Order: sequence, then structure tokens, then C-alpha cells
Amino acid sequence: MAQFLAVANRKGGVGKSTIAVMLAHAAAAWGRKRVLLLDLDTQCNASLMLVGGEGWDKARRGARTIADYFFDRFEKTAEDESHYVLQGIGDVAHPRTAAGRVSLLPGSLMLEDVQGELYLKQAKRGTDPDTVAQEVRNRMKRLMKHFGMDYDYVILDCPPGLSFAALAAIDLADQVIVPFRPDFVSQFALDRVALLIERVETADQLETIDFAKRRYVCLPNYVTGKGRERLLIDQIAVDHPLLTSRVPLLDSVARAFDWDETKKTMAEKYGDALPHLRALHDEVFTAQAWLAKAG
Amino acid sequence: MASFERPGRSGTMAKSTKALSGAAKDAYLKRTIRAEGELPEPVRDRLTERLQSEIATVSLRAAAVGDPPAAETEPVEAIRVGVVHARCAADAPEFDPYSPNVVVAIRTRGREAVLDQLGRIEDVDNLRLLAREQQLGIASDLSRPDEIRAAIVAAAERRIANRRAAAS
Repeated sequence: MAQFLAVANRKGGVGKSTIAVMLAHAAAAWGRKRVLLLDLDTQCNASLMLVGGEGWDKARRGARTIADYFFDRFEKTAEDESHYVLQGIGDVAHPRTAAGRVSLLPGSLMLEDVQGELYLKQAKRGTDPDTVAQEVRNRMKRLMKHFGMDYDYVILDCPPGLSFAALAAIDLADQVIVPFRPDFVSQFALDRVALLIERVETADQLETIDFAKRRYVCLPNYVTGKGRERLLIDQIAVDHPLLTSRVPLLDSVARAFDWDETKKTMAEKYGDALPHLRALHDEVFTAQAWLAKAG
Repeated sequence: MASFERPGRSGTMAKSTKALSGAAKDAYLKRTIRAEGELPEPVRDRLTERLQSEIATVSLRAAAVGDPPAAETEPVEAIRVGVVHARCAADAPEFDPYSPNVVVAIRTRGREAVLDQLGRIEDVDNLRLLAREQQLGIASDLSRPDEIRAAIVAAAERRIANRRAAAS
């Protein structure tokens, strides 16, 4: 069964999709793992990074997106899961075997609408709103879990905010990576998403949970190394577990996500960001701590 | 960056520690960096901003050595004083306005321990610099070091309470 890794933060613009794609590439290329990325964000940025605009449009027209999958499967009248998945995608050179390849369930602009429809469908069964919402989330969670049989890692690229899909993904995940920009408002965003992940309501309750037992870990992203950033990162570290890896603000990271059909090595794709990605990969995938915790 | 002298370059301040007001200094930086035509424009802009920011920090640290900072419009002599102080600041152990991290220290060691730690910073300007860099708002009319230290701690406590209120 796959390990489910969500990349989530209620705040937008923190680099969730770039981190999700980087981790997918790294786990496939360096870990020789079978990796599936589920693009739950209606911006579909991870999909665009992995298959380009035309590739994503083709998937959309072929009704092979996450929204199609949820909609079709919700009433149990759908194709097999694999019908929706684009295999061996991305612009990093990969072997022909499943191990070492990245697959994608593409995102959809319609996912929010579909979630609304699923809610209404469920509501017709006459239960109260909270129960209906819970049932929709649970159903989505089970549908995502189906992919676990065929992969080593399923990376859930969550949207900002608290959609049913985001909540289902956070609930399903063995581990949640929470990228953040080291700025003033990010502290508030981390505090809130931490409550959600740990299923508690107050900061006092959160404090009682040992860092080692938390399902999430925070990742400073877009780091420039300025004094004020260090200050904020240290302040955040008092309340939240942090990875020791930092993802710096580099042109090479930004450039890496320009879609290009040419297959590249990891070094060609990530340039001077490669050592940082290697450190992140090693910490997330080979430290094993979270795998043991999840298992 | 401690002084604006550029040995070996003619027609600039290297000749005689020429006076530069804030605006003239900015123009000088822009002009000099614009001459590096091989650099893309955004890079030149970033470099200019970075240098302006670094120089502002040096000036602030120079002022912290003792004398009041030179006014923007003051002529040669005042700027020269500023340069000398910048050199002094560079020679002295550099004050780190991010240490202690007051918010973290209060959370982990408590208010009294932080006041003790801040007690080792005697210079009012350094205390103000620390407050500014750590974004801890303190009243501008405070003049005694102990008042400023107490205000820094109070501001950090407000910040902690503020964050906690928003979290639940």
C-alpha cells in the first residue's frame, strides 16, 4: 500500500505545487519509486508543470481529470482508476518500468463545481448538513485511497482553502508537508492548518501533542536567508515541527517549472537547486521516521 | 560598503570623500550600476536596491556608535563623520539586531530571562535597532535603556498574544 503524502497549506502562494512536483520527481528519479501525483488544486499548476498546457487540455477533453474521477466514481458507475491516470509523465528522463516514473491524475477547473454537485447529491438523502459534508469528504477520501494499491507514494497536491477535497486529502495523508513563506502572515496560516491536521480546536490542545507524534512537518520555502526570515522561522519552530531542509528562492527553481517536452536529467532540470532538492528528498523519503509512524 | 570610496576609479568619490546627500547617493549608485550594460535591467535594479539597503544599514550602525546621524542634506563634513563611524562600526564587534530573538526567548525562557539578556545591550540605538528589525513596536519618546527593554518585551508579549488569539 502506498504512503500518502499531502502537500497542504490553507494559504495560497506558498509553493505547494512546486514542492509536490519536486518531491514527485525526486522520489521517482532517486528513489526508483512508483509515484502518483493527484492534482487537487483547481489552478491545475502541478498538471501544467508535468504535462504542459496541451497535455492537460487533452486530459480534460478526454474526461480524465480528478473531477471526472470523483464524479464518475461517486455513483460507482465508472471505469477502473487507471483509466484516469497519465502514466510516465513529466520532463525528467525515466525508465520504462513503473518504478522510477511519475504518473498524474490531472487537475480540473471544475473540481469545485463537482464537489458542490456531490454535496447536493448526498444531501438528497436527507441527513443534516454537517453529516452530509462529512460523508462527501469520507467518500472522496476512500476514492483517493484506491490509488494506493498501485504506487509506492501518492502525493496529494492540495488546493489552498478548505474544500472537501483538501480536507479529505489531509485526512487521508500519512504525512503532511506544509510549505510556507517565512513572512508575518504565514505564522497564522501554519497555526490554523496545524489544528486542522491534528484534529484539535485550540493552540493549547495542539501544544499537548509532541512534535514527534504530529502528522505534519513544515517546510520553509522561497528562503533568502535574511535576518527577519530567520527570526520568523525560529519563532515558528517553537510551535511546529520543521524540516531542516530549506528551499531557497532561486531562479533555477522557477525555471524548472516551465513546461518543456525535452526529457532531462534531474541536474539539467533543477540546476543549482539540485542539492537543496536532494536534501529535501533525503529528509522526506529516506529518514523513514514518518513511514514508521504511519505504518 | 563601509565607505563610499572606490579606489582606482576616477570621477567618483574616490578623489576626496565627496559629500553625497541621500538623493545624490541614490543617483550615484544608479548611474554606476547602469554603466554595467551587460547586466540585465532587473538585475541592475535589484543591485541598486540592495546597495541602498546595505548602505542604510551601515549608516544606522554608524549612528549607533555615538553621534547622531548626518542629516540627508548635510555637506561634506557630516558625510565624512558618517564614513568614519561606519569604519568604527566595521571594526567593532557587530551588533546583531536579531539576537536574542525576543519572541522565541519569551516563549522558551520567560520574560525575566529575556530582560536579563536585553540588559547586556546598553546602547539605546542598538536596542531601538533590535526593536525595529524584530518588528516590535516601541514608543519613540522612550529614552532610558530600561524603559526601552521593558517596551520591547511588552511588544513581544503582545505579538505572542495576537498570534495565539488568531490561532483558535
